[in-house]
Amino acid sequence: MNEQLLVVNNLTMKFGGLIAIDNLSFSANKNQITSIIGPNGAGKTTVFNCLTGFYKPTSGNMILNKEGKLIPLNDYTDFKIAKYAKVARTFQNIRLFPAMSVLENLLVAQHNDLMRASGFSIFGLLNLKRYRYKERQAVEKAKYWLDIIGLTSRADDDAGDLPYGDQRKLEIIRAMCIDPKLLCLDEPAAGLNPKESSELNKLLEFIKNDKKIGILLIEHDMSVVMEISDHVVVLNYGKKIFEGTPQATTQNKEVIEAYLGSEE
Amino acid sequence: MNSEDLKKNIKDSLFTGLISLALFVPIVGLRTEIQKEGLYIDPQWGSTFILVAICVIGRFLINLNSQRSEKINVLGKFSSGVSNFFSGKGKQFAITGILFAIVFPFLPFTDRYILDVGIMVLTYIMLGWGLNIVVGLAGLLDLGYVAFYAVGAYSFALISTTFGWSFWVCLPLAGMFAAFFGILLGFPVLRLRGDYLAIVTLGFGEIIRIVLINWYDFTNGPDGIGGIPRPSFFGLEFTNNPKEGVETFHSFFNLEFSNVHKMIFLYYVILVLALITNYFTLRIRRLPVGRAWEALREDEIACKSLGVNPTNTKLTAFAIGAMFGGFAGSFFATKQGFISPESFTFIESAIIVAIVVLGGMGSQTGVVLAAIFLIGFTEIFRELEQFRMIAFGLAMVLIMLFKPKGILEHREPTITLHGEKK
Amino acid sequence: MEYFLQQTINGVTLGSIYGLIAIGYTMVYGIIGMINFAHGDIFMVGAFIALISFIIFGLTGIALPIVLLLVLLISMLFTACYGWSVEKLAYKPLRGSFRLAPLISALGMSIVLQNFVQVAQGARTKAIHPLFSGKLEFFKDSDFVVILSYLQIFMVFLTVGLMILFTYLITKTDLGRAQRACEQDKTMASLLGINVDRTISVTFILGSALASVAGMMFVLYYGVIDFRIGFLAGLKAFTAAVLGGIGSLPGAMLGGLIIGLIETMWSGYVSVEYKDVAAFSILVIVLIFFPTGFLGKPDIEKV
Repeated sequence: MNEQLLVVNNLTMKFGGLIAIDNLSFSANKNQITSIIGPNGAGKTTVFNCLTGFYKPTSGNMILNKEGKLIPLNDYTDFKIAKYAKVARTFQNIRLFPAMSVLENLLVAQHNDLMRASGFSIFGLLNLKRYRYKERQAVEKAKYWLDIIGLTSRADDDAGDLPYGDQRKLEIIRAMCIDPKLLCLDEPAAGLNPKESSELNKLLEFIKNDKKIGILLIEHDMSVVMEISDHVVVLNYGKKIFEGTPQATTQNKEVIEAYLGSEE
Repeated sequence: MNSEDLKKNIKDSLFTGLISLALFVPIVGLRTEIQKEGLYIDPQWGSTFILVAICVIGRFLINLNSQRSEKINVLGKFSSGVSNFFSGKGKQFAITGILFAIVFPFLPFTDRYILDVGIMVLTYIMLGWGLNIVVGLAGLLDLGYVAFYAVGAYSFALISTTFGWSFWVCLPLAGMFAAFFGILLGFPVLRLRGDYLAIVTLGFGEIIRIVLINWYDFTNGPDGIGGIPRPSFFGLEFTNNPKEGVETFHSFFNLEFSNVHKMIFLYYVILVLALITNYFTLRIRRLPVGRAWEALREDEIACKSLGVNPTNTKLTAFAIGAMFGGFAGSFFATKQGFISPESFTFIESAIIVAIVVLGGMGSQTGVVLAAIFLIGFTEIFRELEQFRMIAFGLAMVLIMLFKPKGILEHREPTITLHGEKK
Repeated sequence: MEYFLQQTINGVTLGSIYGLIAIGYTMVYGIIGMINFAHGDIFMVGAFIALISFIIFGLTGIALPIVLLLVLLISMLFTACYGWSVEKLAYKPLRGSFRLAPLISALGMSIVLQNFVQVAQGARTKAIHPLFSGKLEFFKDSDFVVILSYLQIFMVFLTVGLMILFTYLITKTDLGRAQRACEQDKTMASLLGINVDRTISVTFILGSALASVAGMMFVLYYGVIDFRIGFLAGLKAFTAAVLGGIGSLPGAMLGGLIIGLIETMWSGYVSVEYKDVAAFSILVIVLIFFPTGFLGKPDIEKV
């Protein structure tokens, strides 16, 4: 379990009679980008929702290796997964706080640290130095990430005013502001033009190499998948049909059938 | 504008006329009056005709307007005008406002009645600022805020009349009781969706009111609680008949006794309380919990994905809002000297919600404007009392239709990277 | 035993009134997902229109059954206009707006309706002489005589009749199908040629018509009305709708009966003063612990 960051065992998710995920097992490693791909309706976002505590799996378990400590993700519900297990995520339909500024969005991500530093608001109300210092640090961290994606000049604009591509990037760095060990991205390249896609790839590579965390990626855009994935898991109708390197994936018969249909 | 449009317009206006006949003839036209043997009908054809005519002509004009190539947007222009006037001038307005409020009791036109109106407006401003935390910042529609107002008033009344403690001692206690109540009420309900939360809080408010009316042994029921002591100015009482050994305000300052002294003092008390509420809100908006409230309002799922505990965050908003409601309730009790369940009806909750909504959810200045307008103006035009509530209701509907974010809808970020924008 | 029977009879009668109002809440919630806060006041308007109609027809010499029919139709017609107007003016423009906007608008409309009636008709309670007389008596020899009045029989039969009519309307006619389609997916329904706006308007009209029947019954049963009855009855009927399962028509009627029975039983056996607290407490408990009610469908939020 040394290199393994996440291990999913026999995960099953049923909604009434509908089996969305069927006995899925896979693993993702640290310092790697693992892509989950598959046709629409294969259950990819459902996997994410189980991993990040928004759905309670019908059966199976998911274990996160957080620096040697094994954390069973099943035991945690939504906000606790982000807070204690340090699993961060983005959403298929971007979920920013549109009426708040870019900077404020990034500060909300650092909520728990800031709450502690503000002594649950008491120190904050008294405007103690200790809180002011921590707040400045939080702003610095936000600025650090804004510099990386080149949005520093727009820090005070409303997040809802940003162009689509920038909103996607903002959502990713907002997730990074919780200092996650595992970053789950749900179709981050959706709707991006080729230039934006390649910027996204660079950002994800940077996160993988510099921050040394694991990234889990749901994607349809094959160029992104092929270019930056280290590991690929293919789902179809809720079942895993292949797991391996990107290269091997493109050559696997079942995968080709699932996407293109079998030859008659 | 051609004849086709005109024909359509006339047809439409006639249809409106027909509907308005159906609306107004039974209820307005056939007014029931009471006499000894029973009810009889007292026809009001005049009013009915006027109302129907207004509807028809109004519809005609609105259609005319929308058929024009350049529409005249009266309401839009007015509200944009108000927004533009106030945007960016937050600080100036605040300072002017506070100065005006400070000298208000001594202005030439301020007699006892006006002073009383001022006190009432300030009470509603404080309630609005308190509810603003819950509704405006955290986005939780609480339709039972009056319950905390009542808890504050009754706990102060009961403690002071039973134990004889002074206003200043009871005030924080009342706030604590109200906050505790807020947590009690909030805990089971805060995970409910917006509209369900609204109805549940409404239900709670009504339960409190009915309990207050019926629990005679504890609350004195509909008879209410009287003899509530007034606050003193550093130990100086505002009375003409002081108890043994108690100094009075007027003798200390060598003035003729006048009831106005007490009123002016009460005015400053509520002013200070309101300003504390405001200052607290402004500060807490910049703290992580305040930001979390606004983020929860924007997108609860995103908040959860960032590790924010939604239940605790909402509970904090609820409890703090309740606390300020409790403070305001105490003030109300001490000002009136007498409280009864009649003052704590659902309509009060609705009025406070209207103030917050009209002013712009989250906007402190907006609450002030809305309170002055809704409470102050309509109080002064008392003869129109009957129509006041209709105007209230209409205002709520109109604001939702045209300016759902309230009159002052611009939001200032709580923290900036590049400094204040001009 | 006899006392219990009497309370049951009374409870079922009261429950019919609540059930008819509850149907309006549940239909509107089912189709546009909002709580029509002003619906209780539509019921109140219906009661006033019924009252006024009774007074006018009382001056003529027309026989009671015909008067009942006429008042029923008139009340339904005029109250439906109110429901239609409220939807057109205060709800339709807000269909795309943020979630709380229609609720606040409905709150405003509720205040407008209550005070409109108060100004137009005066704030005092209005009473009429009982129009129904006659009753059946049971257990005449025991200590407590159980009374089933003709009025109560009429009310229950009318309610049952309307329910049958309504169920037929919803399940067998085009209109009903259109309404069920809109409840599921408005966009798809409109793409298939259904006039969604009209379907929604009809929903409001039907709901208001039923509420007005409840209003007429209220006038006959209690003999006294004022502009405030909508608020209380509305909340109780909403509780009934949620208890029965919001979105379910039979659920609304079931919920109405349950609330009516609970209220009567509580007044009869525990305390009259706190009967409203009993109703509100049920509201709170149901919304917190049991929000899908008996016959409702669970609501899964998409992440």
